[in-house]
Amino acid sequence: MKRYKIADVVFDAKTKYVYSEKICKPYEYDGEEKPSFTVEITEKDVGFEREKAELTGVKYPDAYLESLALFRKLCDYLLDKADGIVFHSSAIMVDGEAYLFTAPSGTGKSTHTALWRELLGDRAVMINDDKPIIRCIDGAFYVYGTPWTGKHKLGNNTRAKIKAICKIYQSKENVIKVADTKEMIFVILGQTIRPTDLEKMRKLTTIIDKMLGAVDKYVLGCNMDISAAELAYNTMKRGGKDEN
Amino acid sequence: MKIKEGYLLREVAGNYIVVAVGEAVKEFNGLVNLNESAAFLWKQLEEDKTEEQLVAALLSEYEVEEQKAKEDVGAFVKKLQEAKLIK
Repeated sequence: MKRYKIADVVFDAKTKYVYSEKICKPYEYDGEEKPSFTVEITEKDVGFEREKAELTGVKYPDAYLESLALFRKLCDYLLDKADGIVFHSSAIMVDGEAYLFTAPSGTGKSTHTALWRELLGDRAVMINDDKPIIRCIDGAFYVYGTPWTGKHKLGNNTRAKIKAICKIYQSKENVIKVADTKEMIFVILGQTIRPTDLEKMRKLTTIIDKMLGAVDKYVLGCNMDISAAELAYNTMKRGGKDEN
Repeated sequence: MKIKEGYLLREVAGNYIVVAVGEAVKEFNGLVNLNESAAFLWKQLEEDKTEEQLVAALLSEYEVEEQKAKEDVGAFVKKLQEAKLIK
């Protein structure tokens, strides 16, 4: 059994494989706070992840599936008890404020935040490149690093207040616009874990409702040139005054 | 007729969306986006209603011609039937 603190929630986890412990190592906790819950990943949980993966035509080692199961259980707890959701995105912090880029896999989220790091150097810190957690705390929205850092293993055990979220798509010319709220609802619901439980679904939609009122929202068409990061950063740091 | 079990209407940032929960997720994993009057009709259909009752409800809530209300209700009910969202 190991004790972790992820997204400001302390919990105990019983896992079988070294992989889960390895990725969670930066989140090990030995402070005073009591754990909020205990999670044990069983064969059944691993089997559930295996079936889910096979539906999309991929096979993963059990050790990796176990880490996915741990993630799912953590997200389930966070949604239920801590106003927390996963948001499949690449999250980067600049001067203490977080910017989240989301898109279907393969679009270039990671590529875009890599351009931000190139542009901004040490001012830019990766929070998480794949599965950050968002929490609503006293009406403000924060993004947290998690052990699930994606293909490039980029992320840090840190948190930052969210300045903006941005949907990206590939485009020859770089172009950024304030996003339509309706479109962003669909984007967020498509890039989080949707619970099947009624009460949790109510909670999820309530969090999204609040979040859309609390952060700036953009849609960015971008190429892989550094000018894409310049345009995005310069627009987003000013803040979206437009409301729609 | 009535909306099937497992569909939840929510207002999110001024938009009405319908999501599936529970067993309904297996049949419907998408999202429905409704305008205000459609959301109104949806709420009516959370309890058993006839098409006539829907028209009457629409007429009492919105300033709309009876003929137009009938057409709108008919079109909405047809869409729900096609999407297998009512029984």
